[in-house]
Amino acid sequence: MKYYAKIGDEEREYTFERRGAQLIARSGEHTFELDLALVGEGEAISAIVDGVSYDIVTDVQGKDVTVQMRGERYLVQVEDERERAAAAVADNKPAGKRELRAAMPGVVVDVRVAVGDEVEEGQILVVLEAMKMQNPLSADGPGKVTKLAVSAGEAVAAGALLAEIE
Amino acid sequence: MPLFRRILIANRGEIALRVIRTAREMGIETVAVYSDADRAALHVRKATRAVHLGGNAPAESYLDHQKVLAAAIETGCDALHPGYGFLSENAAFAEACERAGITFLGPPAAAIRSMGDKVAARRIALEAGVPLVPGLQDDVDEAGLLAAAEQVGYPVMLKAAAGGGGKGIRIVEDASGLVEAYRMATAEAKGAFGDDRVYLEKFVVEPRHVEIQIMADKHGNVVHYGERECSVQRRHQKLVEESPCSVLTPDLREQMGQAACDLARQVGYVGAGTVEFLYSRGAFYFLEMNTRLQVEHPITEERFGVDLVREMIRVGAGERASEPSAPRGHAIEVRINAEDPETYYPSLGTIRRLGLPGGPGVRLDSAMFRGLEVTPFYDSMLGKLIVHGADREQAIERCIRAVRELRIVGVATSLPVALETLLSDPFRSGNYDTGILDSIDTVGRHYRGAAMLAAATARFLRAERVGAASGAAAARGEDTPRWSQLGRRERLWGGAR
Repeated sequence: MKYYAKIGDEEREYTFERRGAQLIARSGEHTFELDLALVGEGEAISAIVDGVSYDIVTDVQGKDVTVQMRGERYLVQVEDERERAAAAVADNKPAGKRELRAAMPGVVVDVRVAVGDEVEEGQILVVLEAMKMQNPLSADGPGKVTKLAVSAGEAVAAGALLAEIE
Repeated sequence: MPLFRRILIANRGEIALRVIRTAREMGIETVAVYSDADRAALHVRKATRAVHLGGNAPAESYLDHQKVLAAAIETGCDALHPGYGFLSENAAFAEACERAGITFLGPPAAAIRSMGDKVAARRIALEAGVPLVPGLQDDVDEAGLLAAAEQVGYPVMLKAAAGGGGKGIRIVEDASGLVEAYRMATAEAKGAFGDDRVYLEKFVVEPRHVEIQIMADKHGNVVHYGERECSVQRRHQKLVEESPCSVLTPDLREQMGQAACDLARQVGYVGAGTVEFLYSRGAFYFLEMNTRLQVEHPITEERFGVDLVREMIRVGAGERASEPSAPRGHAIEVRINAEDPETYYPSLGTIRRLGLPGGPGVRLDSAMFRGLEVTPFYDSMLGKLIVHGADREQAIERCIRAVRELRIVGVATSLPVALETLLSDPFRSGNYDTGILDSIDTVGRHYRGAAMLAAATARFLRAERVGAASGAAAARGEDTPRWSQLGRRERLWGGAR
């Protein structure tokens, strides 16, 4: 899973890999070996990177992450791959009829609505499992489910149509 | 025998706590007053007694004369400390206290009144021989223009008499542009305010805000504790203060100190007061007198080894003002405001995490605690970080170090702006004026890359946690992750280190 971190116009892409107690982060040709200790409720992170100690506090609110370190404060927008694809799809949706598409390849593990259901904004329609993570996909606004293109257990490709709402 | 039996503190936040601390050290009981929103505030918890005023808006709580005075009378207080803001410069309230037989720990009502009126204050300053910004008291016509400008000296500033908001203001460097500028200023004033009167004043270049701390007793003694440099301001709100001012000569310092003492004597002043001056290229001009304890008083305390609240209580009880000892080293204060460091909008919320600085030379005057709810009702200042060092350089490094240690989660604060100020060339050189915050980049970007990595990592960790929990829940046929499960994960990560 890729993560895109953005401050202003500057964006960097990261991938992560667990290696025992260590977390390996990659960005372009850079590789960071992160030695992490979570303090308290997990908002505070002590990170040792190449022997350098960083005392960090993070506050994650959806895609917005506030980072405080060494007296400075950064507002960072972080999107993961799925969110990015979903945002791209949302930008292309036709007026009136909206399509819910798979942001990435995966397996449909749950379909929570039936054709004809009235749904509210944010209501979960389909749960897609990808990279061992369950991703609830929800309605982007109120409407009526007019089509369901998948059923539970079905494997779907990236961009596949899942449901339509009007 | 304590000097007073019981003092009511007619304030909230860090200053209320500040007064409570000294009173405790002097064996004096304290009474806190509080609004609905401040029930759990530190000043309420640390005082001997507490009285609920009700309401939230200042007008129905801390600004309500009747409620505050009634609380003092009911609890048998024999003195009242007003702190700063709220009722501290309210002459009618000071009178009401005295009438009720409660010592108001501040100047007499008459002194508050005369210094509170800008026109009267200027006149009294003139009588006391305190320099004012040279200029004309009345508006000027085109015929008298040239002579007036010669008299005050260039550069001069033409200002609309009915002015405000910068309209009708012209700065003139020399005689050649004077008439033209005057015509433009009058036309602009006429258009903006329907009043074309313009007056002329010396334009103070590279102005610095330098103020003198004084202390006066009831026996006519007035002493001063040197200056504080308060030029780091944003929209007239001070952000970083230091003492001493790096461009003041001993001779000028003494002149300013004497001028401040003369002014205090002229109005029969008692207690702590601050005389604010505009300083520019070796000259100083009276701005105004604040008839109360200032927010930035701790930098004076750190240099002189004095407790100014203690002095206020002592002179209020009729004792003589102490002779100031020789000042030592350099002190800096940084204000901690709950506001967005980029937009300066107030930031509301609950402080969820608090990491406090420590070590040598560090003092924190603060009303913050974990769980504090920052409400929209009051001033955004949460506290002050004060450092003292052997010299200016050490004080700056110490202040940077302490700001980096201080961590507040839940509300945004002005601390990053203060940090950039302390790191900036103009501040470090000591050669700056009230325009400093406009001339430097106050948005810190020293660890941009690390911050991006940290943010992405934080989201990855959260996804990993949620994914693992929901995966485990799914295996058991549950919809929602179990908190116990999350907790165990958390400990595993913490424990792995």
